Amino acid sequence: MEVMEKLTRIFCEVFDDDTIKIDVHSTANDVEGWDSLSHVNLIVSIEKRFKIKFETKELLTFKNVGDLRNSIEKKIKAS
Amino acid sequence: MVEDQLIVNGQYNIGYICSTLQCLKGNSNKTAFRFISKDFQKKDYSFECLDINSNKIANVLKHLGVMKEDIVFTYLTKAPEQFFVFLGALKRQAIIGTLFSNFGDDALYDRLSDSRAKVVFTRTGLLKKILRVIGKLDRLKYIILTDSEDDVSDKILSLSKLMNSADEKYEVEITPPETPSVLHYTSGSTGKPKGVLHVHKSVLLQNRTSREILFLNERETYWCTADQGWVTGTSYGIIGPWSLGVTQIHFEGAFNQEAYFKILSDEKVTVWYTAPTLLRMLMNVDDDSYRKFDLSKLKYIFSVGEPLNPEIVNWSKRVLNKDVYDTWFQTETGSILIANRPGVAIKPGSMGKPVAGIEPRILSKIDHSVEKCGVVGYLCVKPGWDSMFINYINNKETYENKFKNGYYFTGDESKTDEDGYYWFAGRSDDIINTAGHLISPFEIESTLLELPEIAESAAIAVPDPVLFEAVVVYIRLKKFIDDLDEFKLKVRIYLSNKLSTIATPKEIIITETIPKNKSGKIMRRVLKALYLGHDAGDISTMEEL
Repeated sequence: MEVMEKLTRIFCEVFDDDTIKIDVHSTANDVEGWDSLSHVNLIVSIEKRFKIKFETKELLTFKNVGDLRNSIEKKIKAS
Repeated sequence: MVEDQLIVNGQYNIGYICSTLQCLKGNSNKTAFRFISKDFQKKDYSFECLDINSNKIANVLKHLGVMKEDIVFTYLTKAPEQFFVFLGALKRQAIIGTLFSNFGDDALYDRLSDSRAKVVFTRTGLLKKILRVIGKLDRLKYIILTDSEDDVSDKILSLSKLMNSADEKYEVEITPPETPSVLHYTSGSTGKPKGVLHVHKSVLLQNRTSREILFLNERETYWCTADQGWVTGTSYGIIGPWSLGVTQIHFEGAFNQEAYFKILSDEKVTVWYTAPTLLRMLMNVDDDSYRKFDLSKLKYIFSVGEPLNPEIVNWSKRVLNKDVYDTWFQTETGSILIANRPGVAIKPGSMGKPVAGIEPRILSKIDHSVEKCGVVGYLCVKPGWDSMFINYINNKETYENKFKNGYYFTGDESKTDEDGYYWFAGRSDDIINTAGHLISPFEIESTLLELPEIAESAAIAVPDPVLFEAVVVYIRLKKFIDDLDEFKLKVRIYLSNKLSTIATPKEIIITETIPKNKSGKIMRRVLKALYLGHDAGDISTMEEL
């Protein structure tokens, strides 16, 4: 499964909405309910599902879903 | 402004006072609020616009058959419609309730069913949560979508269509002071959330404290960061400032250090009302990052929701060169009752002094006599202040139990000092205060029991450096689970979606037993002591450990 497809499923699960569509430009402004606490749920879910770990500093650099996807892809390749 | 100018011809209607009256006073063209979208698009709304749109909402509600004291809710993210509906419903003399947009299905159902709400205003993106519980809400007649051009069904209607045919004029009936007005739900340590009902005369104290404590007047530019889903967002994000004709800033976006300081600077905010959690998050950012912002117009920073730790007061003084004034009130009090304020020396960490005319007392935990200075007791207030709640709807007994020996018991514990300052000491119940939001452990535990893997659970508050308190849940499983990490993730997401993101636990602990007393009541204080490594105290009533 493509990273983006898997990521979309995680978003749907975390935000309890099967209709969520994300792309590389999506930000917290585009997803209803994406606040600091649900962001933690999102990151924990991504780490669990992709079997990766993010550094705290790294999390602060993500500006949109594209940054998140790129980081996930790098970590998958490196592992 | 004095109160006799606030109330004209016996008209106490909050919707009228905050819009029509302001126009009659010559503020028609003045900006009532500047709305800043998430992507920083700005739009100004005048008091005339506020008046016309709230009139149209009152006419929409009339058209839909909404009568006096019917209950109307908003379930919205921050949006101009929030304000039009709030004031319009009050003009119609309906009771207006506001629901935090992050509430999940269970939280929504509890509030909409208990209140027997007739109409809910919401957005398409939030509709799905209401639709999941609508089958159990037989009193709910209409859902009005603020962002849909077309009706979805006979029951789910487009606001813009309704507004297009609504008259701009609405004759607001003279509203006596005791007429029910605003409804907010608040958590209790036992049972479901309670609907705290206020009356229109609350505007007297909300207006006065806005003047005397927040130092608001017609010349200020004011920003209250609270969401309208909570009492601060309505008492001081709508009623207090607009009853004074003050221009407000409202920002659609979530907290972000850069965005917040840009707004303070660009909008030349003079009075800022915010929360300790937010200030603590700002404290964590490099001091230098503030230097590029011009905060010279900012005169006062006020804080509410949780105790303001002295570190914040000291940080603000050092980095921003501003004092932060802590204020205290709760949903039931409707207005600030105890506060620090400009002109009165701040004792960092204290709640401040009582508002003029308010009579708080510290009553003994043993016999409810008036406690000596310096001794922690129950924080109580002599009833009769103008914004005092009049009931927990459908729960008169609980309401009456809050009043004993001639005092209202707030549920907080505090002490006074020799200079008359009040000092918060904690809650007298198990309520969790996370980032200024009260959460009931009972609500969390009830929701957790919906998961088939869970036999029982207990939720407690633990100290948190940013949120003041965080939620920790203990769970006893029905049977062994192989992948506990996956299960814990499921619990987090479930609580977040069913109740609210603010109920998301910081930690989930799997345990063999949940300590209870001999009558089966969960002993949360024992769990809290165990978690913090403290002595659990008297455990003679415990059934098991």
